[in-house]
Parts: sequence; structure tokens; C-alpha cells
Amino acid sequence: MTLKLYLDNPEIGSGFDAVKASLPGADQADLNQLRGDAMTQFLDCGIPGPKVEEWKYTSLNFLAKENYAPALRNDDQDEIKSLFQRAYMENIAGPVVVFINGYINRELSSYPDEKGLSFTVLSENTEAFRAALETKEGASALNNLNRALATDGYHIDISAGTHLKQPLQIIHIATSATDMRSLRTRTNIMAGANCKAEIIETFIGAEGERYWGHMISDVKLDEDADVTIYQFQLQGKQAIHMMELHASVSDRATFTHTSLQLGAEISRTELINSFTGEYAQINLRGAYLGRVKQSHDIFTRINHDMPNCQSDQLYRGVLDEGGKSAFQGKVVVARDAQKTNADQSNKNLLLSRKAEANSKPELLIYADDVKCSHGATVGELDADQLFYLRSRGMDEVAAKGLLVAAFVSEVFDNIADETLRTSFREKTGDWLSHEVTA
Amino acid sequence: MLEIKNLRVSVGDKEILKGLDLTINNGEVHAIMGPNGAGKSTLSYAISGKDGYEITEGTITYNGKNLLDMDPNERAGEGLFLGFQYPVEIPGVSNMNFLRSAMNSQRRYRGEEDISAVDFLKLIRSCAKDLNMDPEMLKRSVNVGFSGGEKKRNEMLQMAVLNPSLAVLDETDSGLDIDALRIVADGINRLRGADKSILMITHYQRLLDYVVPDFVHVLANGRIVKTGDKSLAVELEEKGYVGLGVAENAA
Repeated sequence: MTLKLYLDNPEIGSGFDAVKASLPGADQADLNQLRGDAMTQFLDCGIPGPKVEEWKYTSLNFLAKENYAPALRNDDQDEIKSLFQRAYMENIAGPVVVFINGYINRELSSYPDEKGLSFTVLSENTEAFRAALETKEGASALNNLNRALATDGYHIDISAGTHLKQPLQIIHIATSATDMRSLRTRTNIMAGANCKAEIIETFIGAEGERYWGHMISDVKLDEDADVTIYQFQLQGKQAIHMMELHASVSDRATFTHTSLQLGAEISRTELINSFTGEYAQINLRGAYLGRVKQSHDIFTRINHDMPNCQSDQLYRGVLDEGGKSAFQGKVVVARDAQKTNADQSNKNLLLSRKAEANSKPELLIYADDVKCSHGATVGELDADQLFYLRSRGMDEVAAKGLLVAAFVSEVFDNIADETLRTSFREKTGDWLSHEVTA
Repeated sequence: MLEIKNLRVSVGDKEILKGLDLTINNGEVHAIMGPNGAGKSTLSYAISGKDGYEITEGTITYNGKNLLDMDPNERAGEGLFLGFQYPVEIPGVSNMNFLRSAMNSQRRYRGEEDISAVDFLKLIRSCAKDLNMDPEMLKRSVNVGFSGGEKKRNEMLQMAVLNPSLAVLDETDSGLDIDALRIVADGINRLRGADKSILMITHYQRLLDYVVPDFVHVLANGRIVKTGDKSLAVELEEKGYVGLGVAENAA
């Protein structure tokens, strides 16, 4: 008997047939063709099962029998407004783009209007949509699923030499009309030579619904580009959150990804990075905080195919009772990638004996003149530190909150914008005293 | 007024304090001296409520309230400050942020408003200046990379900012050079006042040259075995615990 690695899901196939005529761009034959091909590719493969190494810490068995049809548009203004207000950082000047249930919302959005920046919403531009749905060589099964059913997304083109004056805020909202449905979006970011850009992305949703938020991003940095993506994951308590990002980084370019995982029942952040030039840098930083029934899975891969590049990974996890996490960080240094400098650090703090943190650093080094480091720890709060704080007047929750914030603070130390840095820190510090994550 | 009656405290299976009585009235400074292992630190932890120090008998009340019913932070809210023998390092938490959180926690406990950022800054700067402390230390992580003397000075800073009405100082003088000792002593003397109760736990008579106590107690084998005025400390220094008839604890 052969081991079945992937789980068939015929529900999704018949679900697709039922909705394909109503998907955005359904009147375009070529888009339909791309979606259909993508669905065939997905169905040929299936949902990754527990024996797939990359998914060993997050079981998707429960997805095998469900359809998760695309969410419908929603215009419950009160709910949208309250979720928007929780996500929107008004202290950060700049444009904001809002997607609701996987569809652009024009009323709440103010598209960026800056010289050298072209911002396109997929559902408003067939060409961009087509590009986003095009077959990707070696795409994962879930990426193909996303291609087949993506309802919207955005495409950003930053021309050479453009330094964006303001960060771009993108907010993805899931309302309570999303139960047992999916929100699939796609993002393309093309960063021209010597440009500089910051994108702040926030995912937020209704607390009581089981929805599947699923976003795929492709980021391409040309020479000397400097792109930073910040992500706040504040999804509803029962949500499934999946984020798969592919970055390719050219000569002397710097790509930085900083994320905070607070919400969702199951979250998976997959960051696949490659160097396509020399003297470039990739920084991946993140904090994940989980409790009761929550599971956060961070999966990173850095392909050092070129010499003289640097990568730095810094992840901190905090797990309270019933919380679970996994960090899988793989660094592959090719034979010719001499003078590679790759650091990786993953530390976890367990606030309860009924919490679980998994850490799996993986370094494959085929070059002989490189500097690579990795460190993984799992520990508990220090009782003496806790007592010290409490003896000064802080109650247990406040004292733990301060220690938790301190534990993860390193992740956010390098954020230049103080408002943003503070926002990351406050959300982290507040986590212990807030039942609802926001 | 702090009143400790017939206090028995165990750590694990071992009884450390064996029926200790002590009363400190408002305005008084008391010193407790004693040989190693006598239970001096245990007393300070029992008063402040550290986990693992089991009170098997007796009472501790402060201004008539039962401290033993309270969490450590509630005791702090009631005005208690514990000066640590070994102040704890807390990486990632700035001294400033730590002290403001502590202060506001205490104020909220007492039903007071939070202190404004401006007022807090003024207060902490003035306290740091009194202690001859580099303002840069306020930005650094709590006690991280501080020398022994700097840590004790930081304890005094916290005490000055929090302005407790009951201070228990556990060997605050240990490991200090003469200049640092003077600064710490000045800090304690500044706190002294009609509404304050201060308990200094110390190994040596040295600190008592700078902070003259109203009462000196000798703690041995889990009880107070002798009480006197400052001259008792001088006598101890001359004759030692054995000379005073206070046997060293067998290890």
C-alpha cells in the first residue's frame, strides 16, 4: 500500500463548477481557462496531508471534506465600520485600500496617487488579473487552488528610483457573512531598481465565523530596491489564515518582512525567498502569540543561490494554555553561494504547561566559505522576574504582559517608524489582557 | 504600623522562621542583623508575599490590614516596598517604562488617576539626580549590565519614585563600596519620616553608621533573640554573634 500524501477533495471541484460562472472576470474566456487549468492542477494534487513534511505541524485533514466556496460581497456598514476602525492605523499618513470578504471596497479606500507608483486592483483590470492567474511553475497545490478561485487582489508597480513618501495600508476584512467560506486574494509587487516602499497589511475578521482567508503574494525586487512588508494578523478566533509569499531579490536589494500573528484558530505563514543577485539582503522577522485552540505555523525558506548575500531571520513565539506553534526555517546555501551570511533565531516562551512550541531549523549548506547560525529555544517565564515586577505593584496579568512584550520586542526593534513600532508592541503587550485579539 | 506575630515560615519541608514577633511603628527605623541562615531574607519574602514561602502560623498586618491575604502587588499598593538583595535583570523592559507601569499600577490600586507623562518624567529625573544617577540609565533595560552598586542604586531610585510608607530593605548595603554605601544611606534617610516605617536587614554594622536605627534586633534560628538600640549593633561588631551567645546555625 502506498502512503497517500495529499488528500482528495472532490467537494472543491464540484463547488468550483457551481461558482465559476459568477467569479470576477467570468466573461473573459482566457481568465476562465486559467482558472479551470488551475483547478485541474489543484485537483490532481489535493490538500496536503499530515505526511507532507512541510505540513507536519498543521493538519489540514478537516479541509478535505469541505468546499469553502468563495465568500459573497457584503455591505453591513456597521460591522464593516467597526472592523475597519480596529484595523486602520489613523496615525500613519498615507493611502489605504480595503478589501471586504475578498472584494475591493471603493468607499473606504483611497488609492495611492504618487508619481512612480502604479496601483491596480485586479477586479478592475483584466490584464493585471490575467497576469495574477497565470500558471506558476512549481506552484503549490494551495497556490493553484487560490488561482482558480481568487476573487480580487492588487498589483503594484513601483518605477525605478521612486521612493514612496508614505506607506501603503492594505486592510483585509472578513465580515460575519463569511461562515464556511473562503476569501482568496492575490498580490503582485514589482519593485523597480533603487525604489523604496513600505506596505502595511492588516487581516481582520468577525470573531464567530469559520472562514478561510487565503492570500498569495509575489514580490520582485530589482537592483537596489528596498521593500518592507508589515503584516498584522488579527483574524477572527475561528478563522483559518493562510499567507503564502514568494520574494525574489536582486543585486544589493533589501527585502524585509515583519509579521505579528495574534488571531485565527489556524494560521500558516509561508515565506519563500530567493536571491537572484549578489550583495542583497533578506530580513524575516515575526512574533506569534497563541492560546486556547490556536495554532500558528511559520514556514520560511531562503534560497541562497547567489554569493555575497545576507539573510536574517528572527522569530519569537509566546504560547499560553492550549496554544500551539511551529517554526520551520529552511536555509539552502548553494555550492557557488560563497560569502553567504545567514542567521536564524527562534525563541519560544510557554506560559503554560499545556502549550506547545515546535521549532525546526534546517540548514543545507553546500558552499564552504559561509557564515551561518541558527538557534532555537523553548522556555518559561522567569519566576524571579515576575515576582520583582509584582513586588513593585503590577498585578500578574500586567507583569506577564510586560515580560511577554519584552520577550518579543527584539522583533520590532528595527522598525524605524515609531508609530508602527509602538503599534506592534502595544498589540503584543495587550494580548495577555485581551480576550479578543486586536 | 507593621505588626508581625508568632510568624512561622517554611520553605519546602524546612521551617525557617520559628515564631517571630516584630512591631514597627510609623516613624521608626529598625535594623535586623543576624548570622547567615538565620532567616533574614525569608522574613523579607514572607512580608512581601513571594511564592514558595509558606506561612504555617502567625500574622503579618500593616495598618491593621492582613498582608497575608494579599498578592504581592496588593501589598505594594498598600505602601510596601521590598529592596532586593539581588535585584533582578529584566531585558527588554526599560527602567523608565518599568517604573511608570509600577507607579500607575499602585495608583490604580489606590483608586488614583495615572500620573501624567510629564509629571512622571519630572519626578524620575529629580529622583535620579538626588541619587547622582546618569539619566541614560533610565533608558536602559532594568538592571541589565548594571554593576552591583548600580543595581542597588537603582533599587533606591525605585524606592524614591514609589515613595512607600513601609520599606523592607534586604541587604541593600551588601557589595557596595563606601561611596555607593553613602548614596544608598542618603536615599534611606531621605525616605525617613513621621509616616514611614523602615526595616533594614543587614549583615554589617557599617550601614548603621549612616542610617541610625531606632531599634536593632538580632535574628537567629528563626526568632528575634535580642533587641536593643544602636549600641547593640556596635557590640555585635565587637564580639560577633558567638560572643553575644547567639550560636551560628549549623549548616
